[in-house]
Amino acid sequence: MSKVILTVDDAPTMRKVVSLALGGLGHQLIEAEDGMAALELIKLRNVDLIISDVNMPRMDGIEFTRQARQLPNFARTPILLLTTESDPTIKDRGRAAGATGWIVKPFKQEQLVAVVAKVLPA
Amino acid sequence: MPIPDTLQQQLTTDFLIESFEGLERFDRELLALEKGATSQETLNNIFRVIHTIKGTAGCIGLGRIESVAHVGESLLSLLRDGKIQSSEEIVSSLLALSDALLGILRQVETSGSEGSADHSVLLSRLQDLQSGRPAAASQAVAPAPEPAEENAAFGLFCDEPEPAQESAPQATVPSEPGSPEPQQPAKASVSESAIRVEVSQLDKLMNLVGELVLARNQIIQNVAQPDTAALVAASQRLNLITTELQGSVMKTRMQPIGNIWAKFPRIVRDVAHELGKKISLVMEGQETELDRTIIEAIKDPLMHIVRNSMDHGLEMPADRCAAGKPEEGRLLLRAFHEGGQVNIEFTDDGQGINVSRVKAKAVERGLLTADQARILADRDAFNLIFLPGFSTKETVTNLSGRGVGMDVVKTNIEKIGGSVDVQSSAGKGTTLRIKIPLTLAIIPALIVTSGAERFAIPQVNLLELVRLEGEDAQRKIETLYNAPVYRLRGRLLPLVDLNRHLGLKPKGSADAVSIVVLQADGRQFGLVVDQINDAEEIVVKPLGKQLKTLSCFAGATIMGDGRVALILDVLGVAQHAHVVTEVRDRAISSDGAAAHADDASQTLLLFESRKDRPLALPLSKVARLEELSSANIERSGSQRVVQYRGQIMPLVLVDQHVGGDGWDSAALQDPMQVVVYSERGRSVGLVVSRINDIVHESLSVQRSSSREGILGSAVIQSRVTDLLDLESIIRAADPDFYEHRQAV
Repeated sequence: MSKVILTVDDAPTMRKVVSLALGGLGHQLIEAEDGMAALELIKLRNVDLIISDVNMPRMDGIEFTRQARQLPNFARTPILLLTTESDPTIKDRGRAAGATGWIVKPFKQEQLVAVVAKVLPA
Repeated sequence: MPIPDTLQQQLTTDFLIESFEGLERFDRELLALEKGATSQETLNNIFRVIHTIKGTAGCIGLGRIESVAHVGESLLSLLRDGKIQSSEEIVSSLLALSDALLGILRQVETSGSEGSADHSVLLSRLQDLQSGRPAAASQAVAPAPEPAEENAAFGLFCDEPEPAQESAPQATVPSEPGSPEPQQPAKASVSESAIRVEVSQLDKLMNLVGELVLARNQIIQNVAQPDTAALVAASQRLNLITTELQGSVMKTRMQPIGNIWAKFPRIVRDVAHELGKKISLVMEGQETELDRTIIEAIKDPLMHIVRNSMDHGLEMPADRCAAGKPEEGRLLLRAFHEGGQVNIEFTDDGQGINVSRVKAKAVERGLLTADQARILADRDAFNLIFLPGFSTKETVTNLSGRGVGMDVVKTNIEKIGGSVDVQSSAGKGTTLRIKIPLTLAIIPALIVTSGAERFAIPQVNLLELVRLEGEDAQRKIETLYNAPVYRLRGRLLPLVDLNRHLGLKPKGSADAVSIVVLQADGRQFGLVVDQINDAEEIVVKPLGKQLKTLSCFAGATIMGDGRVALILDVLGVAQHAHVVTEVRDRAISSDGAAAHADDASQTLLLFESRKDRPLALPLSKVARLEELSSANIERSGSQRVVQYRGQIMPLVLVDQHVGGDGWDSAALQDPMQVVVYSERGRSVGLVVSRINDIVHESLSVQRSSSREGILGSAVIQSRVTDLLDLESIIRAADPDFYEHRQAV
């Protein structure tokens, strides 16, 4: 059954990379350009998985995760954060905010597919 | 399932555009930082650009960019977290980082690979700067990211043990300060291959295209079953839709000039550092919009002007202090719309253009003779800097002295139908003004017919239309030495007959003459055509390369009936007809301000004495041309005078002085042709027999001191013409005339 995956990143190219990497899985892919936009979006519609960047203008991925968790529909929705090597604190802050998992940028396509497969059982 | 090549390419292109844009923002924010902006938002923005580039580059396999960006990111994260303070050195190396990334990106853009330029010096500099921070040094100076262990690259928190508390004391780690106020969306970029268009704009276009399709359907239906009323209605709709569509498409091509200005703060900073000058750049009217192609065309000229101002215009801080000016020089860029054109002004408060040095240089370079230089008006002297092969700076710096002179700037601006003018005031500064059209693709034009052919004349060049009917057509046009002229409100207007010029057979009626008054290069002339049709917006199509060399034509357009009309290049026509002179003289000649010189190009009034002797006088000496009745001549002592504008004006019969004859009242024609010369409120009238022409000529004067009242002779319009020595004639006629100079 096709699921809806939301990619949140302020860099359009990055959103495209994620969409392309997951394109073969047959899911519906939607995008938001930062935490604020993503939050607005998920108040309006349900999604099955969120893959979010951390460092974004207006609202970062950590804050977005925290606020998303407050929404009744999103208490359990998997949220994966795109973290980076250079800031070791992100992983812990993400965990504290309620994120489900992490992927370190840059990632390989297989890595992304693997972690998505873990949280989105077919 | 790997990402296919075409998609990979598309990703790379997207990444390039995004990164070019990002780095531009990066430079801008860095300069703000250097100027003292300390907001966390600025630091976040700076960090985020490099962070994003690094992340995306890694994902699409651009490892080199990733590793270079990584080192910058480490430094930036320290800066963002306040662990180190910004310094000039840090800003400089971050700007160098931006350049390095830009270099690799360009390499990717052109060759598809990241190249192999050596960035080790930059990278070690960036790393050194990081160690300038307090304590806990090792952790952030991470090596370029090796693909970490598979396990660490991704995972789920539920698979992991709870984190050890000490690894990140959460209380002390500030959550990332996302700024609450909405950020300005990034402005559309001026990347060569792609532009951003508002979605609403695209929707509007789609909507209009839909309407267009409907209108087409109506018309097609109508062709099958003609119904005039319905066809008229459909054409009207088509007209409206097309106009709106044209406007909308144009709008998608419009870009704010700020897009090219965005690079200037960075350039100004770097150049100022290099020159040891202090310069502040102020920009006004960044939002002023221009067509994309024009933006592209003026990019380099504008850059050159800015460099030139910094290099030649603004002084060293010490010199500025000595001159009583603030140490920091000011460069103001202003853009605004005016009369369907875009004006761009560059004003600096520098030393101004040194007229004597400019003249000396022009003479040294052989662009001007010493005599010409002596009498050249300041206003025209400034424009000498646009002559090919001109440069006043003694030492050629690597900034302005790249072999590209201001002449190239002028040529490039003129190529797109613009103009450049420079004004300067010694010690106070210089203003350079550029006027350019909004677009080149669709221009308003006047359609004329000549010899059964239609021609389009760009409205920019058009001043007015004159139609002479009946008798006037014969009488008012005088033909002198094959050069017809028409007296338009007292000014002589040289006429160019388009038929004759292009070798066409005239089709117009002989009893009416249509004159299109045009301006080219600051000079007016009348183009005689068979018929003046209508004003129309035309779509400019370039000429094929076989016809490109014809300077009389600027292009072609397709008229409503499907036939082609050539677009006249007014300057080309004028030059071809020798109404204006060739390119080289252009900077010197303007509005006849170039005064009399010995062997130079200048604007001359040609007239004849009573004895049909061709004479010439620099037009700049002429205040007015009058027709006066000989009945009004009065005597005042030995002088003949007339009352003229409430004054007594002495009259001088030219023959009396150049030929030696006395005043011969009987020979006076009525009305008399009088050339009025004025100085400081006093006038003298030269009585001549005929006023022939105004020409712009490059003279070769044979000096002759033997004859009184004559400076010399030259061949003008294939006749030997004497140049009048106005001063000596006036002195002879009215010895007091110049005495008043001292009195005033």
